[in-house]
Amino acid sequence: MAAPTLAERRPEIFLAVLLSLCLVALSLQVRRPGGRTAGEAWLLTAVSPFVDLVTAVRSGAHDVGTWAKSRRALRGENGALIAEVEALRGELLRLRDAEEDKGRLLELFGAQPSPPPGTFPARLIAVESSGPFHTALLDRGAGDGLQLDGVVLARGGLLGRVIALGPRTARVQLLSDNTAAVGVLLTHASRGGRIAVAKGDGQGGVSVEYVPTIEPVEPNDVLVSSGTDGLYPGGLPVGRVKSIRRNKTLFWEIQVSAAADPHRESIVFVLPPVRKSDVTSGPSVAERR
Amino acid sequence: MKPLRVTIGLSLAVLATLALGALHVPAPPDFFLLVVADMARGGAAVPAMLVALPAGLLEDTLLAPGRLLGLHAFSKILVGYLLATLGARTVVEKPMAVGGLLAGAVLVEAATLTFLVWVLKGDFLPPAPWLLLARAATTGLFGGLLYAASRVPWRQRRDARRRVRLN
Repeated sequence: MAAPTLAERRPEIFLAVLLSLCLVALSLQVRRPGGRTAGEAWLLTAVSPFVDLVTAVRSGAHDVGTWAKSRRALRGENGALIAEVEALRGELLRLRDAEEDKGRLLELFGAQPSPPPGTFPARLIAVESSGPFHTALLDRGAGDGLQLDGVVLARGGLLGRVIALGPRTARVQLLSDNTAAVGVLLTHASRGGRIAVAKGDGQGGVSVEYVPTIEPVEPNDVLVSSGTDGLYPGGLPVGRVKSIRRNKTLFWEIQVSAAADPHRESIVFVLPPVRKSDVTSGPSVAERR
Repeated sequence: MKPLRVTIGLSLAVLATLALGALHVPAPPDFFLLVVADMARGGAAVPAMLVALPAGLLEDTLLAPGRLLGLHAFSKILVGYLLATLGARTVVEKPMAVGGLLAGAVLVEAATLTFLVWVLKGDFLPPAPWLLLARAATTGLFGGLLYAASRVPWRQRRDARRRVRLN
């Protein structure tokens, strides 16, 4: 059986239209307790899903906007915090350096409780090794009051002397330099001291020469500057005997463990150069005997 | 002739309704339903509904002035469609059956009105049963009588009486 056509459905369509018109007319006349007509109430009920949808979309868009805004703010805040952390980290490192410098200075003052007038603290900014030549660079120069041949003293002991001066920097000849030499007093707790010469071996170490094999020398014997060379004042620690070896000559071959390591020092004292009048004469031959 | 018939029918329904209302008859017949039923008798639904619309609006104006205009129009359109659909599928010949059909239409209309008021106002207010039954009965009775009267061959009888007199 064929489905009825639109023309055949005319009465039903007409009925629906007329009934709808009546219903609309009635709904516009009936007032609900809230003051709205039934038509308004029905209309609101019909459109409420759409209104809810629009509200949800709007609320969602607002939430997304808020989220994006807060994300942007958080990213900005995060960037600021990262920068602050970096700054604080730098500050911490600087404070640690300052603390270490303070400790080194205190140790320096411990090693040299009453530095002579004209003594300056300086920062050791570079250590250079070029073959047998070993030097270091200080961050102070002639403009800061440093003088040529100024004695450089680290926490452990003697480090070297100033051999060149710039306005703001100074070059230091280290004791390990092949051309460096210092008069030392080789001391032992029970036997007293003996004058000798300590020289740089050009390989980062220091050795003592001209100690006859008839002299008793033992490892860990202490070396201090004798003050007889006209370059370094007496009494400054130079190092300890590390090893002793007898060679084919009449003298011991003594390797010294230096008291000050330039690679581990950052702050040093630069003492004024030794005046010729201050040079102490070494013990007489009679005394030595 | 149909529009004239409808106009006369509606006018008579208005007059009868007003008259019985003035006489405070407790359950008067639904004269507007009779007009609609008359139109739907042939099975034409659209003309029946087109008559039901003004009939219902008139009834609304008369019975509930200033209230819900369209309430009886709605129910009358629906009843007109139902009667026309029934008229298109069956042949109701006996006045008693016509009366019963009209009584049923009154009940359907009352149910429709109750449902409409419930939907629109939210109040379920069914009519008093006895009053409704009485209205259905009077409408059915009056409609049945009218239908029976309409089936009497008044012209032939008159002509026959005239011929008898002349002979």
